[in-house]
Amino acid sequence: MTLRVRLGLPVIAAFVGFSIGASAADLTVYDALDFAPTAIKAFTAKTGITVDVVEPGSTGELLGKVAAEGDNPQFDIVWVDGSAVMERMMRDHILQAVPEDAIAGVKYNEMGKALLPKSRSFVPTGASTTAIEVNTKKVPADQSPKSWADLEKFAGKVAAKDPNLSGPAYQWLAGYFQTNGVDKGKELLLKILTNKALAGLPNGGKVNKAILTGDAVVGINQDSGIIAKAKAGEPVVAVYPTDGSVALPVGLGISAKTKHMDAVKKFIAFVTSAEGQAAMQAGDDTDFFFMPVIEGVKPKVERPADIKFIVLDDVKASAGEVEWKQWYKDHFVP
Amino acid sequence: MTATTRQIHKAATKHRGLFARFFNAGTFYAAASTALINVVFFLLIGLPLLLVLMQTFFPDVFNPNNPSFTFSLGPLGRIFVVPRVYFAILHSVELASLVGVLATLLGGAFALIVQRCDIPLRKSVGFIPWIVFLTPAYLKTVAWVLLMSPGGYLAEFGLLPPLTGSLFFAFPGLTLVHTLGLFPFATFIIGNALRGLGSEMEDAARLGGVPLWRVWFKINLPLLAPALALSFIAIFAQVLSDFGLASTIARMSNFGVLTYEIYAATSSYPIDFPLAGTQSLILLSLVTIAVLVDRLLRRKDDLKLISGRSRPSRDYRLGPWRWVITGLAFLVAFIALFLPIGAVIIRALTRTLSDGMALHNFTFANILEASNVHSLAFAALSNSLRYASIASLISCIAAVLLALQLEGPGKFMRSSVMSLALASVAIPGIVFGFGYILMWNRLPFFKDSLFPHYGDASLLITGYIGVAVPYALIVVMAAIGQLAPSLNDSARLFGVGAFRRVLRITLPLIAFSVLTGFMLNFIHIMFELPVSQMLIPRTESPAPIYILRLLNYDKDGLACALSLISMLIAGGAALLLWLAFRWFAARNGAANNGKWISTPSLAEDVR
Repeated sequence: MTLRVRLGLPVIAAFVGFSIGASAADLTVYDALDFAPTAIKAFTAKTGITVDVVEPGSTGELLGKVAAEGDNPQFDIVWVDGSAVMERMMRDHILQAVPEDAIAGVKYNEMGKALLPKSRSFVPTGASTTAIEVNTKKVPADQSPKSWADLEKFAGKVAAKDPNLSGPAYQWLAGYFQTNGVDKGKELLLKILTNKALAGLPNGGKVNKAILTGDAVVGINQDSGIIAKAKAGEPVVAVYPTDGSVALPVGLGISAKTKHMDAVKKFIAFVTSAEGQAAMQAGDDTDFFFMPVIEGVKPKVERPADIKFIVLDDVKASAGEVEWKQWYKDHFVP
Repeated sequence: MTATTRQIHKAATKHRGLFARFFNAGTFYAAASTALINVVFFLLIGLPLLLVLMQTFFPDVFNPNNPSFTFSLGPLGRIFVVPRVYFAILHSVELASLVGVLATLLGGAFALIVQRCDIPLRKSVGFIPWIVFLTPAYLKTVAWVLLMSPGGYLAEFGLLPPLTGSLFFAFPGLTLVHTLGLFPFATFIIGNALRGLGSEMEDAARLGGVPLWRVWFKINLPLLAPALALSFIAIFAQVLSDFGLASTIARMSNFGVLTYEIYAATSSYPIDFPLAGTQSLILLSLVTIAVLVDRLLRRKDDLKLISGRSRPSRDYRLGPWRWVITGLAFLVAFIALFLPIGAVIIRALTRTLSDGMALHNFTFANILEASNVHSLAFAALSNSLRYASIASLISCIAAVLLALQLEGPGKFMRSSVMSLALASVAIPGIVFGFGYILMWNRLPFFKDSLFPHYGDASLLITGYIGVAVPYALIVVMAAIGQLAPSLNDSARLFGVGAFRRVLRITLPLIAFSVLTGFMLNFIHIMFELPVSQMLIPRTESPAPIYILRLLNYDKDGLACALSLISMLIAGGAALLLWLAFRWFAARNGAANNGKWISTPSLAEDVR
């Protein structure tokens, strides 16, 4: 027996043996949500349908993987924050329109009805919004900002996420342009985000750190993340701007090439049921603090009643995506 | 070597690798084995890389809507048009060059005092680089941010004047953290070369009355030059491929570097593959240029230092200075190791960031949660241990086989493979990960492969091997390159077969280097993040993903606790392996008066 055979055979045998763990689950879900594993566990317990959960990282990192898989997607369901990106993926034939019968039985509340897209590119299963995160130890209550325009007073000390890396941040940017107008919105942002070291952070966690221990005193962040931090004892509070907050749906999209549509429909039915929504609230991390979009489901925490919600025009947001993201990168990312 | 034996050696080994010599035919089997090895390396490294790099010139080849092979120089032109991209190139080169020099100096100094000086606590000092290396890079970055932020732990103690903080989150701080994190590479490479060097030549010169400083400038440094160059290039490549600091301290310092640009181009939908491909091509070119410059500057042959006759070197006696030197070594350890690890321990033991080290903020909750053997965290950790063991083993065996195969054919082939291996080190894991997805999920034939299969652990392990092989190859080839041909020739003249020669002569002499390569790769893979993210299996996810998830979702206390436990387990496993090796070596050692020949020199350079 040659040296290569002597050395190689046991190694190959070990490689094969150790690698066995190949999946044969009924459904594959790609997600970037805290509550997904808990909800999926409850789904499997109820239906017996097995699910492989793939969570490679943040929303941006997950979408990068989806983009690399291209026309051969390996997921049945992709479940992330954001709506514009869902529209874009459907246009690229990575997602398919949600069949009408999959959502026929869902009892949406008013917000849910408003967030359900005409194109049916995704199923909203919850929502959050972007708010102003204020460190209460650094900013006295009477000086706290009330609107996006007030952030100009804190120029140089405002932390924000890079919409190129964060789905929720792009949702905010597109919504902000929708309410302020693109040109005026750009002008204002140039006055607010004057510190590049704080203006293009990759995720909400980094925004929190910049506000808690760094140079930032306020930030633009997902409200569920701010609420989770406050609940954990950190001195932060979410301020909802008077000029409007864009609603950020938790969207569930279906792969254009899924071979498990029956299981997908059962999954949608579960996560939009009271039982599924309860499972999605059974935790203390960021995404568990979503706003329910299903009739009769109580939120885990009450938000102020007077939040001025804006529903994003996904078609316009999707059309402007490349240009607006590039503009943001050119001006606010080092 | 006499003229006769030299002639015999030349005739016996002319243009033939060891495998060719095994089969004593040099025909079908030799050609087949060479082809097989080339194909394996092409599939492991070449093709995935090619799929990413080709998008520099064929930007629409993986376009989901209209794929086409239309040639374009547009992506390459963006380097000169987009300021952020060309500044990122300049920043990367500036940082990698400075850190390459500083880390080589610091690592070389460590190697020298541990190998050649009579310092007290020598073994403890010798462990410092290993423990620094064991600490995952991303954990060190988390630690430095916790320490140096305006509201961080040092500021809480009043130890951080405002200017220090602003200086730290800038080029000087970035250089410092990189240097402190990467000097172990230089210690390993230069340390091995020093061991192989011995002190016969130095002793002879000293007997002739040559002063010590002159011995070093005229004899030792020229002999160590290949190791110094290898150390510089390896660290240069490491800095270029780093993502941990690029995404934290560099990002907070307004100091954009190439790896972060690649990450930004690929972590979005739609993805900017052409830009990522172009930037990867630049990274690859930068290291290739460094390797070529080194080849042009140093054209003479390297000495074969391991002859079986070398004697251990004598220590320099430093007198009272030995305490000062030991003190300085521990000062480096304090800054590079104890300070960041301390910050991580404090974060693992506290509830909230903003309450810092207030007494009421301390808790064991994170440690208890991370050490629960029934938790998801522990499952992820055991998966990573399994993946790292198998991938490190295969990468080392592959590296040994390739290095043996390349021993015969001559310097050109050897230096080309070594250059490619070094260039591969500069390619960020994220680029490899994307290459693997494109290859195993998009290319016909490969996407239908059942083993390895995209979405299974088999492809993740294959990806780890692809990333690890260049590291193992650098270590093993450098070691084999130091062996004098006379050792093998003598055995062959006595009728010892090829397999037995490899087993009884070559492998024992390079065993410690192979073990070093295994441990480097084991630790590297345990904490390898980008490849894990891209090739995450549908089941049995590895630990770095779980830790990243915790960091992303602001559970950095738990992430720190889990990282500490991971480090203890990975370090414990590496220590056990080393002890097992020592025990085995003590029972089976052959040369050096019954002692195991521990470490051949790594002084073989990239030529």
